[in-house]
Amino acid sequence: MSQTITIDPVSRIEGHAKITIELDEQKQVRDAHFHITQFRGFEKFCEGRPFTEMPSLMARICGICPVSHLVASAKACDAIMAVRIPETAAKLRRIMNLAQHIQSHALSFFHLSSPDLLLGMDSDPATRNIFGVMQAHPHLALDGIKLRKFGQQIIEWLGGKRIHPAWIVPGGVNEPLTEERRDQILAEIPGAMQIILRTLEWFKEASVKYTDEIRHFANFNTMFFGLVDEGGGLEMYDGVIRIVDAQGNVVADRLDPANYQDFIGEAVEPYSYLKSPYYKNVGYPEGIYRVGPLARLNIASHIGTPLAHKEWEEFRGPNKRVILSSFHYHLARLIEILYGIEMIEKLLNEPDILSDRVRAVAGPNSLEGIGVSEAPRGTLMHHYRIDKHGLITWANLIIATGHNNLAMNKGVLQVAKAYLKGTQPTEGMLNRVEAVIRCYDPCLSCSTHAVGHMPLVLQVRSHDGEILGETARK
Amino acid sequence: MKKGNKPRVAVWKFASCDGCQLSLLDCEDELLAVAGAVDIAYFPEASSAMGKGPYDISLVEGSITTPHDAERIQQVRRVSGLLITIGACATAGGIQALRNFADVKAYTSIVYATPEYIQTLRKSTPINDHVFVDYELHGCPINKNQLVEIISATVTGRKPNIPPHAVCIECKQRGLPCIAVSQGIPCMGPVTHAGCNALCPAYNRGCFGCYGPMESANPDSLSAWWVGKLKVHRQDVMRAYRTFNAYADQFRKQSEAHEK
Repeated sequence: MSQTITIDPVSRIEGHAKITIELDEQKQVRDAHFHITQFRGFEKFCEGRPFTEMPSLMARICGICPVSHLVASAKACDAIMAVRIPETAAKLRRIMNLAQHIQSHALSFFHLSSPDLLLGMDSDPATRNIFGVMQAHPHLALDGIKLRKFGQQIIEWLGGKRIHPAWIVPGGVNEPLTEERRDQILAEIPGAMQIILRTLEWFKEASVKYTDEIRHFANFNTMFFGLVDEGGGLEMYDGVIRIVDAQGNVVADRLDPANYQDFIGEAVEPYSYLKSPYYKNVGYPEGIYRVGPLARLNIASHIGTPLAHKEWEEFRGPNKRVILSSFHYHLARLIEILYGIEMIEKLLNEPDILSDRVRAVAGPNSLEGIGVSEAPRGTLMHHYRIDKHGLITWANLIIATGHNNLAMNKGVLQVAKAYLKGTQPTEGMLNRVEAVIRCYDPCLSCSTHAVGHMPLVLQVRSHDGEILGETARK
Repeated sequence: MKKGNKPRVAVWKFASCDGCQLSLLDCEDELLAVAGAVDIAYFPEASSAMGKGPYDISLVEGSITTPHDAERIQQVRRVSGLLITIGACATAGGIQALRNFADVKAYTSIVYATPEYIQTLRKSTPINDHVFVDYELHGCPINKNQLVEIISATVTGRKPNIPPHAVCIECKQRGLPCIAVSQGIPCMGPVTHAGCNALCPAYNRGCFGCYGPMESANPDSLSAWWVGKLKVHRQDVMRAYRTFNAYADQFRKQSEAHEK
């Protein structure tokens, strides 16, 4: 029985969870909770390992965004070594990180979300998957496959393999880029560019059909949180933290990510194993914020590449308003893919990109290191402490999906309040819960990234804990 | 499977990172062909849906870590023709099996505020500890070409052609000079199952055993060589065997032998 809608906690809880909706004594929806039943325990089993092993070990947290964990982990290790890595190494890491964003966003949009968008939320679940899209809309499916391949191929060319590559290491990268590889990647760029431009055009037109979803899918006020570069532009690899509120006012700016504990609190709720990060200055639970593509486009003052900047201007509108509906995560993802392709081309054309100075070598020079970068789903933080021999004594991870925990709970609650009639959850309600969660593309490798459908169980409970109704995805 | 019918394929997930089943989507060029040759029917784990089997081929990713999963894998076995495990989690318990060497309670209380809610088994175990497995694909993650090979072999009813030898053979086939002999870099290639095409040695880095032990490995000899010739500390030998395949028999015995 049972399961899903899993939320990643600070450590990766694998497997499954269920949603319970709690009613008050008047049988009105009071709250929505997640329960999670499995875990893998990354923070614990890395204790006693040399810090240099951390990138390889931590990459195994996730097969969808292993490069993001490699990047954050390697940056934490750079801090432990107290080195500034060579410029070329930072650029090469950036390229791989952008390739990761492209492939992961393509997976989210084409493989996972396009079935809902193209085939309809009420179509037959048996064919509502990427294979169904292949039958009904072969060109679009092929575009998605090719675009994901573009990103994955770059990762493979740089790191030797697509999932869990060992190329990003403490101090830089393992091998310089060869001219041949650079030209190979450059040759792929026009094809990828064509795909993303026609997809953007199609999706912007098609979005008109989804006005209902735009209005009801986790459309509420929260703050937005993420990295920006020194000039306030879109940033994926380094930079400073900026937080804006729902009206677009900058709440905090130029925060040093290494001081995250000063401004992020991690609340614990008795019903969930997943911590709920919140902005400390506002308090809990009002300090709710969102991260990820939508947040990044909401906090940025511009985008550093021309085509993506133009799309961003259109996205934010003439008044540069903050976009609140989580449905727009989809469009934000496409704009970020465009940015990624443009930026990879720009970086590859820099004169020092083929330099063979790509790795700083040092032992442990600091007993603590924090690495922060933007993963496809949002800000990712790795924080390690070591002993004097360089062995890990403590680790803390805040995963992008964790930041979105409060917002996802709130989104599900919004759906429950709008669609739960009586005590028996319906299939239609399940679909909407699933689609709301899907907007955030949570890294719940267990459920949302399976080929096809999110397994889901929804329970309705009375105020004293009695189960009143239950629906499982068939 | 009935002749002329497309085999029905199910993909099951237990505790894992999803990387291995994503390898299926990484078969970009082959994906359309695969989708044409088999009927991919992913079924969520709700038990009501499991009755809809049987499936000709079940691909199983992940290790068993909860009482519920221990029951679920039995159901998977019952509805499956061929059961193929994919990746280090399914074949050896995965990286989460590192907890098998410690007290699991220490884990849950450190990571979670309310550990009493966590239902977990003391150990993370491979699928073949629980049910009969027809074929195992090694690797963290698996090699997508091996996945395509095993699917096409099954569709055409022949034996899959997946080399069982050590990483060393692949390394020689690539013409790489041995980094252990020429540079004294500790390398697990001699005891590790092939499949990665000697990726790490090609990057001048010692193999760290992603593909787990090969069938007829001799890790006693390798460990003795590391300790004796390369002056590797016993604790480091232990850690080398304790990664993604820590609970695979041959690796587990080596790491335990070097604990002190």
